[in-house]
Amino acid sequence: MATYGGWTGKTLRVNLSTGKITVEDTIERYKDYLGGTGLGYKVLWDEVPAGTKAFDEANKIIFGVGPLTGTGAPSGGRVSITAISPTPWPVELVATGHMGGHWGAELKFAGWDNVIIEGKADKPVWLSIVDDKVEIKDASQIWGNGIYRATQQILEEIGPEGHVAAIGQAGENLVRMSVVMNDMSHSAGAGMGAVMGSKNLKAIGVRGTGAVRIAADKAEWRDYIKYIISIMGANNSHAVPSTPQPWAEYYNPGSRWLARKGLFWGAANPPIETGECSAYDVNRIGFRSFLGVMYLGPLAERFTVRQGGCHSCPIRCMTHMNVPSVQEKWGVNGYAANTCGGWGARSFFKSFPDGSQGMSSIEAAVLGSKLADDYGVWNNYGLMQSDLVYAYYRGYVKAKLGKKEYDSYDWKKYEAGDPGFLMDLYKRIAYKDGELGTMLAEGSGRMAEKWGFGQDYFTDHDIVYWKMGHPKHHSAEDAGQVGVLINMMYNRDPQCHSHTNLVRNGLPLKVQKQIAEKLFGSGDAVDAVNNYTPMNRYKAVFAKWSLLRKELDDSLTLCNWMYPFSGSPLKERGYVGDDDLESKLYSLATGDQKSKEEMDLLAERIFNLHRALTIRDWGTKEMRALHDTAPEWIFEWPPDKAPFTPGHYKMDRGDIELAKNMLYTELGWDGATGAPTRYTYERLGLKDVADKLEASGLL
Amino acid sequence: MLSREEEMEVLGKLGLTKVTSRRGFLKLGAAAGVSVAAVSAFGGIVKAAGFNASTSGLVIMTNAKGMILADPTRCVGCRRCELACTEFNDGKSQPSIARVQVGRNYNFGPKGMQGSFWSGEGEFGDFRIVQDTCKQCPHPVPCATACPQGAIVADAETGARVVDSSKCIGCGLCTGACPWEMIHVDPDTHKATKCFLCGECASACPTGALRMVPWRDTTKNTPPRQAAMKVIGAGSVQQACAPCHVKPQ
Repeated sequence: MATYGGWTGKTLRVNLSTGKITVEDTIERYKDYLGGTGLGYKVLWDEVPAGTKAFDEANKIIFGVGPLTGTGAPSGGRVSITAISPTPWPVELVATGHMGGHWGAELKFAGWDNVIIEGKADKPVWLSIVDDKVEIKDASQIWGNGIYRATQQILEEIGPEGHVAAIGQAGENLVRMSVVMNDMSHSAGAGMGAVMGSKNLKAIGVRGTGAVRIAADKAEWRDYIKYIISIMGANNSHAVPSTPQPWAEYYNPGSRWLARKGLFWGAANPPIETGECSAYDVNRIGFRSFLGVMYLGPLAERFTVRQGGCHSCPIRCMTHMNVPSVQEKWGVNGYAANTCGGWGARSFFKSFPDGSQGMSSIEAAVLGSKLADDYGVWNNYGLMQSDLVYAYYRGYVKAKLGKKEYDSYDWKKYEAGDPGFLMDLYKRIAYKDGELGTMLAEGSGRMAEKWGFGQDYFTDHDIVYWKMGHPKHHSAEDAGQVGVLINMMYNRDPQCHSHTNLVRNGLPLKVQKQIAEKLFGSGDAVDAVNNYTPMNRYKAVFAKWSLLRKELDDSLTLCNWMYPFSGSPLKERGYVGDDDLESKLYSLATGDQKSKEEMDLLAERIFNLHRALTIRDWGTKEMRALHDTAPEWIFEWPPDKAPFTPGHYKMDRGDIELAKNMLYTELGWDGATGAPTRYTYERLGLKDVADKLEASGLL
Repeated sequence: MLSREEEMEVLGKLGLTKVTSRRGFLKLGAAAGVSVAAVSAFGGIVKAAGFNASTSGLVIMTNAKGMILADPTRCVGCRRCELACTEFNDGKSQPSIARVQVGRNYNFGPKGMQGSFWSGEGEFGDFRIVQDTCKQCPHPVPCATACPQGAIVADAETGARVVDSSKCIGCGLCTGACPWEMIHVDPDTHKATKCFLCGECASACPTGALRMVPWRDTTKNTPPRQAAMKVIGAGSVQQACAPCHVKPQ
């Protein structure tokens, strides 16, 4: 058999019921699924019975990295965690949690491409992976501790250089809204923490000293890596700076390329100026993306120690702050790191005494992030916060909690916007303490169902509920019909950024249209944000490309918050990125030469396997009616405007139905049901999948 | 402080720009921490002492011309330096043998875990990430002196302390001799490997936190990572030491 670079060649399988640890040949079994989500879906399809629930012993949880993880492929530090997830509502279905950090790279250095966890331990355990030495260890002294403490205990055993993916009390207590966390603040959501908890698995600690081999000639690899970095933008592939700069033809205030003269990492010692970061200065690329000031306002500058992020990524999107008053007021260490949604605990409060960008807001962001990251609570991309605001201010909290429980919360503190309220709240969520803690732990869909939320919960655009218990994530407000289609396709918020990386990259519309013409055949694929035109075929091509690249990136692994590179900050390239990076990186690293078209076909297979799993486990092929849905607010808000009114994202119902038709056509899915056809399954090498579905009446 | 142009001029005089420009290393960070005067004076000392790096033999007496200088305040912990070091030189990604070390300090800083979180450095402390680089030690060079094969020599061009793979037998005595644990034995080649001033790490740094600068002695103010073995490797080395270090009987 040919040997490949990139992969280590070994996949680890651990059965917690029997204690059996086995080694599988990655290439032989999983090469056509690459790794990451592809491998996760494959294992679930082959090995987990239809209709398995998230906390069943039969469920499996797959920690997938890929051939590019741990290499110098820029932004290759991601991990995809796949399982039947407890968060989709009303049916528990396949979903993935995604985390960065250094854990995935460390797993490769330890010699492993993936870890498949199956069964259930009869008592709390953790998994120790130190190079090729793999052991299931007793976790009785670790169970019950928060993620920080658990991480420390494990690093005491495997060494301070190791990396630990752990769950907190939330995961242990089967809080659906829970995460797996590594490196202090890199979390994977979608209830993956609770799936680990259901298996009595507290953590996976990894220490690796080995190598990931690059198949290509080292000079060729070097040149290609340097080339990629030379065409990179800022976070989310934003291609222009947010302020006018001498070197830049364009700027856009919405850009995440925030570095400028006079903007400092203010808490660095001594403070460091982010300064002008020319697109040509690759030794300043790490200063570009200063997201803290974008999310938390100008005050965040003073508290920022530095930017940070994942292994191998020159784009440092994660703001690291120290807010000493958090320590002084609540005894919680004020060093906190996060990128975007992780700062969202502020939104539990309707307002703060000192405004939305004052000190209280920053304290709430830092305190909330520390509590959530230690207990291991997932905020459902901000929907948990909307849930509490809705339930409290519409009277559900008072009506549904007994008087004793209601009075045990300090609601005056809550209404006053006192961040200290979070100390109580997060603990009760993590321990499912009382009715409110339990409901927030159960998540949006189940809370809305049990408490009988009004129709306004699902239709209010402020709440941003999308479907199946999850919120919108780069939907109509970013990319019109393309965003809507993408938000329909998954069982959680879609975690897809391919589309927003283009439409929000800050380049003028005419340039974006030139890029779209190259990629999708016509500039009509993109509109100006919130100035949308009716559906056309090219938008369907754009949506399909976005979805397939998301799966490709999550399988290789590359960060879909950067890839695919549709745009670039370089004028001499006409601001055009490079659509071929994934296939070229894969070919160079592994030595398995594949064209862009071949890679997209692999991605399409992976994406269709996700669809097949959803159909199989829901027991229906009526995806169009039941699954691919959009919330009312995109059709109804604002009430006094017609669809396609400039300045708004209001969509038209008939137009969205047309959009679904067009996407199904592009994907080779049946127009009536939205299920892949036999022809499509077979075209993608999934004949066995079609056969199994047909036997169950699901084809 | 030197401007970038001045820094390049200094490196040019030291013969280091040939290396750096060949490697596309012209976009250096802001300014070097040494003055032109100091460099010139140092150059004079070398010349006056009459040592030639290429003929220094078993005992290295000359200083290196350059070094990789790290600024932890700017380090963002991406570890692209480790990747550039091992991928571009060895064709594989392997931080454990990288000639610049960041990952081992990432969590807790060089002192390791200090009993509790938040009290130390690193991602679990005050966010300071310290990059360990080779000091290109002055005489006596611990790794070179410890080598029983005389396989660690001063590069003729740059003065970098480099491993001659044709002589190295992979015994690993050098790894115990370096107080900063900056030399490793590659488990695939069974050869020791250490920084030879190629500049790839600095070239790859996204924040200019690593720079190639004219050499200065940082061995006295950098705490050691290990209690290094004081090894004198070979009989011939011992003989070379004797004229200066052993009193005539």
